[in-house]
Amino acid sequence: MRILLAEDDTDTAQFIETSLGELSHVVKSVGTGDAALRIARSESWDVIILDRMLPELDGLTLLKAARSCGVTTPVLMLTALGRIEDRVDGLDAGADDYLVKPFAPSELVARVQALGRRYTQSEIATKLLAGPLELDLIAREIRRDGRLVLLQPRELRLLEVLMRHAGEFVTRAMLLEDVWDFHFDPQTKLIETHMSRLRAKLNEGGLPDLIETVRGSGYRVRAV
Amino acid sequence: MKFGPGSAANRIALLGWLIYAAATLLLGIAVYFATHAAFSRQIDERIEQATSALLIEYHDDGVGGVQSALDQQGRNRPIGLGTALFDARGARIAGNLAIPLTEPGWRNIVFHDPGEGREQARAQVTVLPGNYRLVVAADLESLETIDHTILAMFGVTVVVLLLLGLAGALLLARYLHRRLAGIEATSSAIVRGDFTRRAGIGTAGDEFDRVALSLNTMLDRIAGLIANLRQVTAGLAHDLRTPLSHLRNHLERMRGGQGQAATGASIDEAVAQADNVLALFDAILRISEVEEGSLRRAFSAVDLSTLVSELGDTLVLLAEDERHFLHVAVGDGIRVQGDRELIAQALTNLVENALRHTPEGSVIGLQVRCDEGGALVTVSDNGPGIPEADHERAQQRFVRLESARSAPGHGLGLSMVRAIAQAHGATFSLGDAGPGLRAEIRFPKRIIA
Repeated sequence: MRILLAEDDTDTAQFIETSLGELSHVVKSVGTGDAALRIARSESWDVIILDRMLPELDGLTLLKAARSCGVTTPVLMLTALGRIEDRVDGLDAGADDYLVKPFAPSELVARVQALGRRYTQSEIATKLLAGPLELDLIAREIRRDGRLVLLQPRELRLLEVLMRHAGEFVTRAMLLEDVWDFHFDPQTKLIETHMSRLRAKLNEGGLPDLIETVRGSGYRVRAV
Repeated sequence: MKFGPGSAANRIALLGWLIYAAATLLLGIAVYFATHAAFSRQIDERIEQATSALLIEYHDDGVGGVQSALDQQGRNRPIGLGTALFDARGARIAGNLAIPLTEPGWRNIVFHDPGEGREQARAQVTVLPGNYRLVVAADLESLETIDHTILAMFGVTVVVLLLLGLAGALLLARYLHRRLAGIEATSSAIVRGDFTRRAGIGTAGDEFDRVALSLNTMLDRIAGLIANLRQVTAGLAHDLRTPLSHLRNHLERMRGGQGQAATGASIDEAVAQADNVLALFDAILRISEVEEGSLRRAFSAVDLSTLVSELGDTLVLLAEDERHFLHVAVGDGIRVQGDRELIAQALTNLVENALRHTPEGSVIGLQVRCDEGGALVTVSDNGPGIPEADHERAQQRFVRLESARSAPGHGLGLSMVRAIAQAHGATFSLGDAGPGLRAEIRFPKRIIA
């Protein structure tokens, strides 16, 4: 993916470049809001990572300007402000996702990849496929190797999010946001509890586990 | 306190006095003119009466009749009224008034009084057939005397009244100064650092007492916030020291490499400890933001029944995994004004607390119902509970009761719940479930959506 990074703090910028570069993404880094706006408009990008506090032109203003000029590239906004209100402001300004500093590299990578995919996948897909799994989005039915698996609505939603990001890690925070609509960490084993039930139902009869867990990174369903 | 031109008390007193003086002056002027007009009218009436009497004489006896009446009057009644009769050539042929020929109508004239010299008079000049002119005049001396008397009386009264007013204004200014001085002295003491000082409150219950009372209330609130801040800072310092020093020691050991090289597991351990510190920060910042109350702007109608049912589905599984029983009972169609996520967080915290602090096999109840007082959300358990004396303390930040020391957590759960309840205008309370703990969030009727 071609990623535009607008971040004035060189340490953070380098850290992000390294994290994304390892996955062979191309990262172009700029340090000021003006430069970011210019490049965002003149070149095409898969994802823009935008720091909220930028010299010359702050992230929010920049984003509003870019959106009003017809830039539709998905934007991940980074901020040191973890306040609920700030997140709402950021999303209102046209950000697609919002990440509070400090963040784990795995969190950033997972979110950037999710954003990059959001626009490559067909928006009107009625079926999701991942390996032996087939999810019918209209009938709300999941089949493994063609056999129907009965899931609770929340478990189904959980699997749906994993399958939409098939092949990539989905972090705990992303699951909390997408499945429960929680933008806070409930400090419970909420996800683990649901995940173990989901696995038990999917793997019934001693089938191999399809959901991979990596501590500190999240969960992944293989795409093939 | 300043007693100079910058004093509002003085300005108020001076303004009051000026208005009072202006009103007095206005009253005096009105009385003067009204009296003057009344007397003038009276004089005019006397002149008119005399003129008509003389016209009757003329009607009866012609010019001769008038002439003789004037002669008679001049002799017998040397009253304030003067008369004169002129013939067609303008020569005075009768009357006691030594004046030249005057134009017809109402006139103010000057005549010569043998005793007192020049005098002002009011005259009515009537033209009789044959171009005779009859003049009836009244001396204005009495009117002038009355005017002078009124002015003199009024002058004295005004001075007395203004002096009284000035005295009143000074007293008022002094009074205002005195009442405000107490409040100012308290504020100055606070500024100097004496936070225990409070304004004295009188018994009258007037505006000043109310101001003093609200000042004291504000000071109590500030003192509470400062105490809170101190407690938080101390708690933060304490709670951060522990995980940070663990992390530090951990890293030290990893560097030492004495059989504990930087393995994946020990790095994970260090990351988890750092995450713990960050989570603590996040929790504190979130509580502060909720307590600030600015989130209220984004509040909307939340279907409490649906929210709790859905949340219950998730929490039941959580309880099951922790070998507890969670019973969820939700009344239908209960809606409140608020933030869905914050309410969810509060309820998750409460259930999580119950799971954490009760032994395996305990029963936890999550209930939402509506009663005449509004909507009531209850989380109760049949565990060991909290002694009543500790109910208030348990809701403060960083407070971890002795019984909870061994369990994980930062002591922020209940203070978050309380902050969320307060942000919603709801009340949070802990009670005895006999046995066990009952936590209640009560949404008052006015925020039921």
